[in-house]
Amino acid sequence: MMNELGRILIVEDDPKDVELTLTALEEYNLANEVVVTRDGEEALDYLYCRGNFKMRTSDNPAVMLLDLKLPKVDGLEVLQQIKSDEKLRMIPVVVLTSSREERDMVASYKLGVNAYVVKPVDFHEFVNAIKELGIFWAVINEPPPGSVRKSS
Amino acid sequence: MSKPEISSRRMTSMVLRYGLAVLSVCIALSVALLLSHYNFPDVADPLFLFAIAIVVWYAGRGPAILALVLSSLANSYFFIEPLYSIVITRSDVPHLAVFILFASLLTGFATVRRRVERELLQSRDELETEVAERTQQASLLNLTHDTIFVRDMSDIITYWNRGAQELYGWTAEEAFGKRAHQLLRTVFPMPIDEIRAELLRTDRWEGELEKTKADGTQVVVASRWSLRRDLQERPVAILETNNDVTERKRTEEKIRKLNDDLEKRTAELEAINKELEAFAYTISHDLRAPLRHIAGYTELLQKNASSILDEKSHRYMMMILESAKRMGDLIDDLLAFSRIGRAETKMTMVGLEQLVKEALSEVQQETEGRNMDWKIGALPNLYGDRSMLRLALVNLVSNAVKFTRTRPQPKIEIGCADEKDGAVVVFIRDNGVGFEMKYVNKLFGVFQRLHRAEEFEGTGIGLATVQRIIHRHGGRVWAEGIVDRGATFYFSVPKP
Repeated sequence: MMNELGRILIVEDDPKDVELTLTALEEYNLANEVVVTRDGEEALDYLYCRGNFKMRTSDNPAVMLLDLKLPKVDGLEVLQQIKSDEKLRMIPVVVLTSSREERDMVASYKLGVNAYVVKPVDFHEFVNAIKELGIFWAVINEPPPGSVRKSS
Repeated sequence: MSKPEISSRRMTSMVLRYGLAVLSVCIALSVALLLSHYNFPDVADPLFLFAIAIVVWYAGRGPAILALVLSSLANSYFFIEPLYSIVITRSDVPHLAVFILFASLLTGFATVRRRVERELLQSRDELETEVAERTQQASLLNLTHDTIFVRDMSDIITYWNRGAQELYGWTAEEAFGKRAHQLLRTVFPMPIDEIRAELLRTDRWEGELEKTKADGTQVVVASRWSLRRDLQERPVAILETNNDVTERKRTEEKIRKLNDDLEKRTAELEAINKELEAFAYTISHDLRAPLRHIAGYTELLQKNASSILDEKSHRYMMMILESAKRMGDLIDDLLAFSRIGRAETKMTMVGLEQLVKEALSEVQQETEGRNMDWKIGALPNLYGDRSMLRLALVNLVSNAVKFTRTRPQPKIEIGCADEKDGAVVVFIRDNGVGFEMKYVNKLFGVFQRLHRAEEFEGTGIGLATVQRIIHRHGGRVWAEGIVDRGATFYFSVPKP
């Protein structure tokens, strides 16, 4: 069961958060199939195989870790776009944010998010959260048809 | 006057009237006979006519006809040939006919005249009665405090009562004959033609008018107009009553202005609240990220460089991590505190006993292994926001747990004190370290702490949160304490 690893798409503008997230994933050998995009527009470019991602194969990631506060197109807009697109709506989306505000949570769930995780300040907790997310979505969860899988 | 009396009087008057007829004719006859005896012939006719005239004048038509018949008979018997017989020759017929005709004419004229006179008298009486009635009504209208005046259709004032004089300062003499709208400088809320049209259609009009008194001050009056029509249904006059509502209008205006101010203020406050919310959101999101990075990179550094770091450096790293964690806690508490101010309260009946149970299970971790002595009294139901009240109780209970930590036998009592000013009073009493009463007013301030951080941890927001929650319920918080003996915290919530 653990022999296949789904591709994780990270959408995060803060390079430090990217680094810490990748470090946490690496620690549990979950980082070899990770794509990082740095704003909402780039994330949508990736999903629609356009711009810099014209040449990629058109399969979907197994899970998408989405920050809410993003330059250009923000997280909620990206989420709305994904969930209203017939081809993309099956991609599991996890909102990974600093915001504990209820309205962000409510807005995300209304748009059909699959999970909402507040980034813990404490590093151990943070690493733990990333690890659990990676294991659950990239390994345990059966992704919808059309997702990238790679033998580990 | 009873009926028999009336009829007896009428009888008497009948006897008198017909008696007068007979008497007059007798006198006329006697005088005529007397004069003819002294050779003054041909005076009978005028004398009889004279008698008939008197009768018709004083006794009316019936007796006059009797007098006419008697006169004719007497005339024919005593003065027309053949004498001493009522038989008349053909040649005398015209004489008698002219006599009767003339007498009838006289009777007729007199009757008509009498009737006219009687009618005149009657209408004079009626007029007098009406004048008396009107005078009385007018003086009654004068008695009322209400302002009443009458104007004709060309707006000329024809009546002006005392109330009008008192309100407007013009006497009746000054007001009579003046045009009302000019005298009072009336300001209409709508075109006067519209008011007139309504008045003519419905016979009345009501509205508020601005008028000016004799001394120049303005008044607002509630004005009622009633149209008076004559028998032919033509409008003839307008009766207007006024009530001074200036004071009421002024108060209304004041209230309206206050309301406007209040609305403006509310809008301002709402805007400020929105700004605060945006601010809190920024804190929540943007302050937490660098903290997470500090903690994260310090951890990574500690891991990577642990072999080459000395003990002191390890301690420094620990300090950085601790500070980052504390800052995170502060931000979280501050956000929770600001959320209480912003969130809407959802008021329901809340069972306090259940809430206390929940609060106790929340602090269970902290009390584990400690020999706690809980004493929970009977607790009432409150009307309030469940999650907020729960948070207040959790804060108070965990405070009590925290500050009894140094006690070998920690004792915490939760109960309901006597009602105060119609509010339920709940207390949480502990035998912990207590506090000095001179610092009691610092207890509920944000970031206010009465103990050093190394003695008792905390952000100094817990009690401020409690106070804010209770204030939002319209209640009060207060505390009593003795150093080293314990503290009691009270809160009151108004009964529904």
